[in-house]
Amino acid sequence: MQQQISRAETGGAAAPTGALIHEDLTARWFIVSSIAYFFIVGIIAILISAKFVWPDFMGTVSWLSYGRLRPLHVNGMLFGWLLAADMGLTFYVIPRLCGVKLWSEKLGVATAVLWNVIILGAVVSLLAGWNQGWEYAELPMFLDVLVVIAWIMFGANLFMTVAQRKYTAMYVTIWYVMGCIVWTAFVYLTGNFATLFATGTNQANLNWMYVHNAVGLIFTPVGLGLAYYFIPRSSNTPLHSHKLSMVGFWSLAFVYVWTGAHHMIHGPISQWLQTIAIAFSLMLLIPVWAVVYNLFATMKGQWHQLRENVALKFLMSGVVFYLLTCFQGPMHSLRTVSAIVSKTDWIPGHAHMAVLGCFSFFAIAGTYFAVPKMWGKALHSQALANWSYWMMMIGGLGFFVTLWLGGFWQGWQWNTWSIPFIDTVVALKPIWLVRFFSGVLIFIGIILFAYNVLATVMGTTEEAAS
Amino acid sequence: MFKKADSSALWAVVISLVLFFIGGLLTTVVPPLIDTSWAKPFDNQDPAKGVTGKLVPLTDLQKKGKAIYVREGCWYCHTQQIRTLLADTKRYGWKGVDAPISTPDEFVFEDPHMFGTKRTGPDLARVGGKYDEQWHRSHFRNPRDLVKGSVMPTYPWIVNDPVEFKALVAYMQNLGRAKDWRPAKDYEK
Repeated sequence: MQQQISRAETGGAAAPTGALIHEDLTARWFIVSSIAYFFIVGIIAILISAKFVWPDFMGTVSWLSYGRLRPLHVNGMLFGWLLAADMGLTFYVIPRLCGVKLWSEKLGVATAVLWNVIILGAVVSLLAGWNQGWEYAELPMFLDVLVVIAWIMFGANLFMTVAQRKYTAMYVTIWYVMGCIVWTAFVYLTGNFATLFATGTNQANLNWMYVHNAVGLIFTPVGLGLAYYFIPRSSNTPLHSHKLSMVGFWSLAFVYVWTGAHHMIHGPISQWLQTIAIAFSLMLLIPVWAVVYNLFATMKGQWHQLRENVALKFLMSGVVFYLLTCFQGPMHSLRTVSAIVSKTDWIPGHAHMAVLGCFSFFAIAGTYFAVPKMWGKALHSQALANWSYWMMMIGGLGFFVTLWLGGFWQGWQWNTWSIPFIDTVVALKPIWLVRFFSGVLIFIGIILFAYNVLATVMGTTEEAAS
Repeated sequence: MFKKADSSALWAVVISLVLFFIGGLLTTVVPPLIDTSWAKPFDNQDPAKGVTGKLVPLTDLQKKGKAIYVREGCWYCHTQQIRTLLADTKRYGWKGVDAPISTPDEFVFEDPHMFGTKRTGPDLARVGGKYDEQWHRSHFRNPRDLVKGSVMPTYPWIVNDPVEFKALVAYMQNLGRAKDWRPAKDYEK
C-alpha cells in the first residue's frame, strides 16, 4: 500500500518517492478552533453549574443569567467544539482512507472560516437572548442558513474526495461519514426550517425528531466512524468484522429516525406514536451492540495496550460509555421508567455521558492521534495526556453517577405528590454541589488537553522519522 | 443490495436515504394527518364531556410576554405539560382540584411550543391564575423572598421594566386556561 504522510512530517525535505503527501490545512484549522471553543465553553459550563449551587451568583445582569448561558453551553459544546472537532478529524481521515488528497483545501479552509463566523455569531445572539425557543435549534434564522451553506461546502468537499478515491472498496468509516452528511442535512432542515411551518404538538414532534437525531444521526455516525478508524489505527490491529460493521450501520440507518416521540412519553402526543417510538427505541440495541461487540472484539488480546496508549484509553472508555448511554436510552423510553426519570436531573447525566463520555472522548482521542502527525512533531507530553484522561474520567463519572442517583431520587419524590416541589429542589442541592466539583475536574482535563495540543503545535520538537 | 454499497458511494447514499426516509416520513409527516386533534383547537361547552372551555389565540400583550419567556430561557427549567400521570395531575392541581391532563388540542396555536424537557422548577402548564400579580412581582425580583430554598434566578431587568413585567404576567396568567378547570373560578389576576 502507498505510504501516506502529512506535509509537516516531511520536515521540509523531499518526500519519499511515491508517497502521498496530505496538506491537512483544513483539518488543522478545524481542530485548533474546536479546541479553543472546548475551553471557552467549558468556562460557561462551570458558571451554569455554579448557579445551581449559588443561585445569586452573577445573577443581576441579563446576559449572564442562566437562561442565556445554558443555550450557549449546549450550542457551543455541540457545534463549536464537538461537531467542529469531528469535521476536522473527518478531513484528516477520509483522504487517507480514500488514498487521495482532499478534493479542495481552499474550500475546506473557507468552510472552517465560515464555521467560526457561525459560532461567534451564536455567542452574540444567544447572550443577547435572540433565541428561537427550540432546544438545539436556538440559533436565529440567518445563522441557520449559514450552517446549511457550511454543511453543503463540507459535504461537497468530502463527497468529491470519495468520488476520486483510489481504493474501490470503502472502509466502514466512509459510509458512516457519508451517512452523517446526508442525514444531517435532512435532520437539520426538519429541526430548523420545517418547524417554521408547524405549531403545537406537530411542531414539538418535528423538534424532537431533530433533537433526538442530532445525537443519533449526526454525532453518532461521525463519532462511530472515527472510532472505527482510530481504534484499529492507534492499536495497530485490524477491525474484527467487516460484516458486523455492516449490520451496525444499516440497522442504525433504518431504526434511529423513528424514535423522536420518546421524548414526549406520557405527554400531549398520540399514544400510538409514543408506542412506535418505544418499540424502535428498543430496537436501537441492535446497532449499538453490533458496533460495541465489533470494537471490543477488535481489542481482543490487545487490551494491554491501554496501559501506555492514551488515545486508546479515551477510545475504549468512549465505547463503554456508548454501550451504557445507549442502554439507558431504550430503557428511559419505557413508560414505567419514563414516569420516574423523565424531566429529572437523571437526563443531563444521561446526555453528558453520550456527548462528553462517548463522542467527546472519541474526538479527543482522534486529536491526540492526529495532531502529532499533522504538525510533524511528537506530542508535547504523554504524562499530561494521561492526566487529562483521568481528570475527565473521574470528573465525568462523578457527574454522571451523582445525577443518576439524584435524578432517580427526585423522580420518586415527584411521584409522591404530598411532598412539596420546593422540598425536592432543596433535596438536590448536595447533588448539584458534587456536580459542580465534578465539572471543575472535567474542566481541568480540558485545560490539560488544550495546553498539550497547543504546546505540541507551538513547540519545536520534531517527530522522530517514522 | 448492501454488498453493492461496499464499493459504490452513490448506492450507499441512496440506500441510507431510503431507509432514513421510511421512518422519517412515517413519524413526522404522517402522524398529523392521522391524528387530527393535533390541529383542532380545544372547544367544549358540554360539561357532560368533561372540562369545558375554548382555546383562543394569544392577545398581543400575551404574545409579547411569551417572547420574554422564550428570550430568558424559562422553558429550560419549566415544562408546560400535565402528563398522563396521576402524580402530575395531583401535584399541579390547586386547592383540591386536580389539574386536567394536557392534550394536543390545547396547543394548536403554540409557536414555538413550550413543552420543555426538564423540571428544575415546577411545571407551568396550569399556573395561570394561581398567583396574583403582586406575588409574581416579588417572585421575579427575588424568588427566595417567597420560596425559601429556590434556585431560580432573579430577574430585576424584567421587574424594573413595567411594560415587560405586565406582558410576562399576562402570558403566565393565561397558561392552561383554555380548559376552565377550577369549578370555583378562583383565578387570581
